[in-house]
Amino acid sequence: MLKRLLTQLAFFLHSSKLYNQVKKRASDFLLNSDYIYKKYFDIFMILLIISSVSILVYEVKHPVSPWVDFFDIYVVTTIFTLEYLARIWVHNSWHSEVVKEYGDTKFLNKKFCLWSPSKKILLGKLSYMASPTAIIDLLAILPAYRPLRVLRIFVLFRVFKLLRYTKSINQFLSVLGSKKFELYTLLFLLIFITMTAGIAIYVFEEKSNDNINSLFDALYWALITISTVGYGDISPVTPEGRVVSMLIIITGIAMISFVTSVIVSSFSEKLTELKENRLIEEINKEEDFMIICGYGQMTRMFLRHYEPEYAKRYIIIEKDKERVEEAIKEGYRAIQEDASRYDVIAKFNTDYAQVTLLAMTNSDVANIYITLNAKAISRNIRVISRASNERISKKSRLAGADSVVMPSLIANRMLFAAITQPVMYKAVYAILTGQHLAQLDEVNAVYHQKIVGKSLKELRLKEQKLLYIGYESCKNRVFVFNPSMDYVIKEGDILLLMGRQVSINHFKETYKEIDYVHT
Amino acid sequence: MFTRNSFLFGYNKKRRFIARELEKEPLNLILVVDEEASYNQAKDDGFREVIFMDLTDDELLENLKINDDDYLVCVMTDHYMNVFLTLSLHSIFPQAIILALSDSPHTTQKLKMAGASRIIDLYQVSANRIHNMLHKPVATKLIERLFSPEEEFSFKEIEIPKGSSLDQVMVNDFDFSKHHVILIGMIDERLSHQFIFVTSGLENRFDVGDTLVCIGYNEDLERFEQFVGL
Repeated sequence: MLKRLLTQLAFFLHSSKLYNQVKKRASDFLLNSDYIYKKYFDIFMILLIISSVSILVYEVKHPVSPWVDFFDIYVVTTIFTLEYLARIWVHNSWHSEVVKEYGDTKFLNKKFCLWSPSKKILLGKLSYMASPTAIIDLLAILPAYRPLRVLRIFVLFRVFKLLRYTKSINQFLSVLGSKKFELYTLLFLLIFITMTAGIAIYVFEEKSNDNINSLFDALYWALITISTVGYGDISPVTPEGRVVSMLIIITGIAMISFVTSVIVSSFSEKLTELKENRLIEEINKEEDFMIICGYGQMTRMFLRHYEPEYAKRYIIIEKDKERVEEAIKEGYRAIQEDASRYDVIAKFNTDYAQVTLLAMTNSDVANIYITLNAKAISRNIRVISRASNERISKKSRLAGADSVVMPSLIANRMLFAAITQPVMYKAVYAILTGQHLAQLDEVNAVYHQKIVGKSLKELRLKEQKLLYIGYESCKNRVFVFNPSMDYVIKEGDILLLMGRQVSINHFKETYKEIDYVHT
Repeated sequence: MFTRNSFLFGYNKKRRFIARELEKEPLNLILVVDEEASYNQAKDDGFREVIFMDLTDDELLENLKINDDDYLVCVMTDHYMNVFLTLSLHSIFPQAIILALSDSPHTTQKLKMAGASRIIDLYQVSANRIHNMLHKPVATKLIERLFSPEEEFSFKEIEIPKGSSLDQVMVNDFDFSKHHVILIGMIDERLSHQFIFVTSGLENRFDVGDTLVCIGYNEDLERFEQFVGL
């Protein structure tokens, strides 16, 4: 009976949209560093930890008001407990495992056993609970138990808990982790020398030195001396002891230099990677951004004109080291990576952000590969690819490019227009380059709701010195050129207007929001 | 034979489009190249008038019989050569209209100094296009369609001839919607030789010799041109 109920519950949870959405959102807040709002959760937790630690430290010598105590005991601890439980909850999914196991057993005509998937999930959760970070989370809850003052030492774990929310410390530890072998070797060497020197001083001075009464004293002296701290509370008194001192001081200096060089070299090796990861993390926090693949003449020209508009919402990915250095020197945000690699583009937050990818390398093959790579990661990535001719343009579209730019074709058409229709060329050039006298702009009825339901005649565009070119229909996204002035604008239509920037801005401002008084 | 010539300096696969399109215009197209491979390719592509010569030799350039109103189009692949050629042509034929293709702002600057009348920066127009694609997709699509020779609507320049029904008519008084065309702007010969957008707010009058730039369906534009000529 219980088995049946639990199985039904698993199926219910598995199919429940709301439950899965809530769990996904909780997981995003706790674990997904690409999730835009995770940073706010992290900041909140950091502030909570700081306030809690401050209260506990202040409380050592001063009485605190009851509400502060209440805040620390109930509010902070409840949040910490909920967070701990939520982390266990999102660690793995019981219902998915049960549903999977049920399907497999039915397929194989075997008897379904609920315990098997439940055990697997339970072991997974226990293994998570035994991990250092989960133990820190658990111990950080303990200082709230006031009757046992000794538990207050666990306030330290609240400080350790900060590690979860601060990337810099984690990065520092991961950099040190990359030099594990060297650091372990040095640690063993340090233990060996300390032991040897400690035993030697103990043998030489146990009888003649009043401060060395045990092997522990000797080892303590050796460690203090080798670290070059030298408190001076214990010092050798025999010539043999002094010789040992001299030897371990020299060894100590050498070891400190070695440790320093290991740490510095590991940082310099990882510095570029750290900086690049930081850039990716920063851009992943944006709601919409642009990935520019390739730093050539076209990218340069694009950024030279439009970089301020995109501010921090773009990143250049370039394979060539010299070009990356050049881009950084110019003040652009560039990383040295291969955009045709799956893992490189997969690092970007394509689930939550609106991503536009410009495949702008000077190789058609590379641009098509980059397009395919981006579309394989997410169909939502909008790709604009560069192509050298019509055939490549066709292939780029087949690969999934949303738009294709052919520099030579555009230039040829402009050149042709300049020869055959020089007056028109001037007009088009002004429109294309967005000169303030002739802007060709779009007014989206979604954002300018006041125009919805009005006819073009009613908008009195001529009076506002605006020229109406046409509209893109909300129904089928077909462009209707020069329609009748009796056309009534529908929600979702996009009007195409031409005029001075000031006229367009004024029009947009006038029809920006719904006038609730009149509607 | 037409009265006006168009000299295209430089030829390769990428420039085939411009050569082909110019061939359709009422102009005599003459290709001038300085490489044997380009010469052979141009001949293979079916162009009749192809001249193979040393473009650094001024005497040979002088012998090209270039008139003042001819178009000189410099599209050499080597940009040093393109600037040099522009300078040479400008010094020999100071009145001719020189158009040049550039691939960077530095080259554009040099071409301007060398005397090019109009310069098209390959990458700048593409950069603008990408920016427009991102911010004004509908407008960009429209411009692409207006430029495409296969489309049913386009731009047209219409000059007001003597005896035209538009002569002496105020711009604001004329209803273009009746003719299903949109007036973008004009060159008012009476006021200046500059292009004036219709949205600039100026009150102009149509006079003989003014040039109008309109957009519309090709058939409507043809009909409107005939109407202006009446």
